[in-house]
Amino acid sequence: MKLNRLFKQHSIKGLAAALLCASALPVSAAQEYLLTVTRPGHLHVIDMKTNEVERSCDIPGKFGSGAITVSPDGKTAFVLSNIWEDVYGFDIRSCQIVFHAAQSSASERVKSFQSLTVSRDGTELYTVQNPTRLLSDRYEILEPRLAVYRIADGLGAQPVRTFPVDRRITKIAATDTGEVILGGGDVKAINTQTGDVRMVAALQNWDRGPLWLPPDAFAMHSQGEQANEYIMPYVTARFSDEEWDFETAEWWWGLSRVDLSTGEAELIEAIPFEFIVFNFITDPRDSNILYGSFNTLSKHDISTQETLIVKEMPHTYYNLNISGDGSTIYVGGTSSDISIHDSETLEKIGAIHLSGDMTTSDLRVATIRE
Amino acid sequence: MALINNKTKKALSGSGVLLLAGLASLPLAAQEGHQLLRNNCGVCHAESGSADNPVFSRISEQRKSPEGWLMTINRMVHLRDVEISADDKRNLVRYLADTQGLAPDEAAPFRYLLEQDTNLIETGVDAELVETCARCHSGARFALQRRTEQEWQYLVDFHMGQFPTTELHALSRDRAWYEIARNQTASTLALQYALDTPEWSQWQSEPKADVTGRWRVVGFVPGKGEFDAVMLAERADDGRYDLSITGRYADGSELSGDGKATLYTGYEWRASLTLDGVRMRQVMALDEQGLSGRMFLAAEREIGGSIQAIQDQGEAAVLALLPSFVRKGEHAEVEVIGHNLQADSLSLGAGVVIEQILSQGPDSIRVRVSATGDEGIYPVQLGDVAQSAGLAVYEQVARVDVLPQDAVARIGGGGMMAKVRTAYRVVGYSAGPDGIPGTEDDLRLGYMPASWQILPADEEAEHDQDHIYAGEIDANGIFTPGIDGPNPERRMSANNVGRLTVVATVTDGEEVVEGSGNLLVSVPDFVRRVLD
Ligand code: HEC
Ligand code: HEC
Repeated sequence: MKLNRLFKQHSIKGLAAALLCASALPVSAAQEYLLTVTRPGHLHVIDMKTNEVERSCDIPGKFGSGAITVSPDGKTAFVLSNIWEDVYGFDIRSCQIVFHAAQSSASERVKSFQSLTVSRDGTELYTVQNPTRLLSDRYEILEPRLAVYRIADGLGAQPVRTFPVDRRITKIAATDTGEVILGGGDVKAINTQTGDVRMVAALQNWDRGPLWLPPDAFAMHSQGEQANEYIMPYVTARFSDEEWDFETAEWWWGLSRVDLSTGEAELIEAIPFEFIVFNFITDPRDSNILYGSFNTLSKHDISTQETLIVKEMPHTYYNLNISGDGSTIYVGGTSSDISIHDSETLEKIGAIHLSGDMTTSDLRVATIRE
Repeated sequence: MALINNKTKKALSGSGVLLLAGLASLPLAAQEGHQLLRNNCGVCHAESGSADNPVFSRISEQRKSPEGWLMTINRMVHLRDVEISADDKRNLVRYLADTQGLAPDEAAPFRYLLEQDTNLIETGVDAELVETCARCHSGARFALQRRTEQEWQYLVDFHMGQFPTTELHALSRDRAWYEIARNQTASTLALQYALDTPEWSQWQSEPKADVTGRWRVVGFVPGKGEFDAVMLAERADDGRYDLSITGRYADGSELSGDGKATLYTGYEWRASLTLDGVRMRQVMALDEQGLSGRMFLAAEREIGGSIQAIQDQGEAAVLALLPSFVRKGEHAEVEVIGHNLQADSLSLGAGVVIEQILSQGPDSIRVRVSATGDEGIYPVQLGDVAQSAGLAVYEQVARVDVLPQDAVARIGGGGMMAKVRTAYRVVGYSAGPDGIPGTEDDLRLGYMPASWQILPADEEAEHDQDHIYAGEIDANGIFTPGIDGPNPERRMSANNVGRLTVVATVTDGEEVVEGSGNLLVSVPDFVRRVLD
């Protein structure tokens, strides 16, 4: 029974060990900033010691989706703007724009659905591009591709390499192994030098036999930097027989978690589907503890498959993140307030009010270690 | 005066081909249609073929309803920055619907969309197509189109190009949506809804009827009731028809109005008219019987009712009986509505005795009848010609159907969006020969007066007091939803949404019969669509 629920491609202990190493870094010396984007187009840099907005940077172009990725040194935040077409890189210490890539050209309109990440050495930016062409009397839909930009190219950067990838890729993340994790119908990884693609976690194409509902996986937001992981939630059901009675099925939240230091994944169905969760994050101190947000803020222990705490929220919060020491949870997205909670009890301990609505924006943590 | 104005406007608008006033009332000549396409669309849609038989890329490989063409041209205006004069647009829609429209049989199963009857759960669309296509809009939107396979593929590309996240929605992201839609679904569509069909070839070769003249009309306006009227249609010089209508409601109050109609594709009647100061639309289809369809408020398409009309062709003809039913063994007053009627040639068969003629005229005869026969439909006879209308004699109303059976109303009125109301009616049935209501052989008696109430749909709705907050229903069966925005009186300051059961009570002699419908009171819908 338990084996069915805890389907693993990779030992959960191994991942926990890896995470312990990561959190052994001297957290205290680091300054953490919470980053998010609000309409009509501001990148907010929030000091996580004081929970005050330290500066707000103007993002050129129409609102995108608020997707953000941060360079490993924590100093540059890359934001998707102009209705998912342009990437702007900001020095979060000054708001100076240090990078700009306009992905569309005269012959192609290029959109990226959230997919934005920086290589572990901080030199390259990756996006997944979905190009279309508007001909005189019809659209032509072109194949998606991974585009590699050299961050040092700064303003007006053009891709230095491209490789074909699957359709329907949303969030992506770079690994220490020189790959980029691609979250689409399945979770795959692409080698950023050769373009070779391998399966990391089969979802749409999983082979669970006839009693499992093929998972519905979807990720609109990137997070996981505090646990050094890529996390793709999905919903599945296990039926008692091949009649597929949806009423009597066991419904589960599943998680595909990729360890970004190894590029290895585990698939876990360990959170009973009792309410909608839009995003999950893992506690950086204990990989068995997860937090989820939507109309509720919840805390889960996947080792016991228990939902530990559920807190009704006053409105919908799409998104959440956590401090590096695991003590404080920031719940945001949707509206203009970020709700701050104690991770032990989930009690609300503060709030940050922003100048506009976050809608679909990411909530990321930039850590500057100096 | 009006004539001169129209002509002057056209002369100024530049597409001078339409100026030949004598011709303007005829279907647009092919040459004129080609020229309209060349002038307005040719920059982007490449022309090939011969001068007499030109082919315009994308445009020539599809057929659709007049609304379908209007929707496309409107999109060309909004998204492709096409500038087109109002006259050219109207003439082009008419030309395209006439030459690349749908045959009556092709449109018949999907008339609800043309009639803008949105309170309907679609059935009969292929499961594959529902999943891939009919989850954002109705299935009728594409079932009312005919295309080559390549055109269906280009339509898929249009969706991806215009709405790039289409493949990321639920029911897309768990599969290779684009590949499935472009390869499998497009070929399914090309088989089910092919460009070339025998129905269309047949319809193109048939002679088309002329709708000018005098029409006898019956219909229903929510809040006002059933009416009967005379409608005159006269050709206007712009190819449309000038309409005037006069009549009265069942309660005796008068009705009058005027407007304009267009007959597309030889059978698609579309009219805009002002009835006693209220703007209304008629969407009807013409067949051998006459016109039938729906009339609704221009500003509120949910509020409408059925309408039927027959043309005066010099012979006696019956359109309807009001009411259309009488209980067995009872007496009743019935009005026979039609053209060129003569009381002395009227009969209702062996089971219905005409006891007295109360009034008579060529358009209407009021009689007092006695239902002596057994349960059944007794067709009206004029001399020895049986009419399609008949009087139902019944023993007992055994079942009443609430229409619409499933409806969505929308809260509004507080902000930008108006409330979306629902107009209800009931149709009564007797149990038929098998004595069991709800079976195939039930006898349809007709629309019946009813009293109305709303109840919570279930325990949860009762707990949330949906029946108190979500809105109210009046004596005419019109449901008006609550105001939008958060309601501090409700749990979690919920807005005034709810799930309700609408109950109609019909009194039939000593008996009382109830029927019910499901009503979802939902949030405002900010997307206003031409075609759902
Ligand atoms: C400025 C260029 C331009 C002009 C002018 C133009 N179109 Fe288009 N048309 C397009 C483009 C681009 C597409 C493909 C994208 C789309 O479907 O919106 C298209 C697509 C179409 C389609 C296919 C739509 C479908 O549902 O698959 C039709 C039909 C069409 N146009 C009709 C017209 C007509 C009729 C006119 C003249 C009134 C016109 N167009 C004028 C650019 C144009
Ligand atoms: C993601 C939602 C979505 C899905 C899925 C979808 N549609 Fe649409 N469709 C739209 C919208 C929105 C429009 C309106 C476009 C406009 O005119 O602005 C539209 C327009 C159309 C039109 C009218 C275009 C014209 O000008 O004639 C047709 C026909 C149509 N869709 C058919 C289909 C078919 C067939 C499929 C399945 C392959 C499909 N749709 C799937 C959203 C969707």
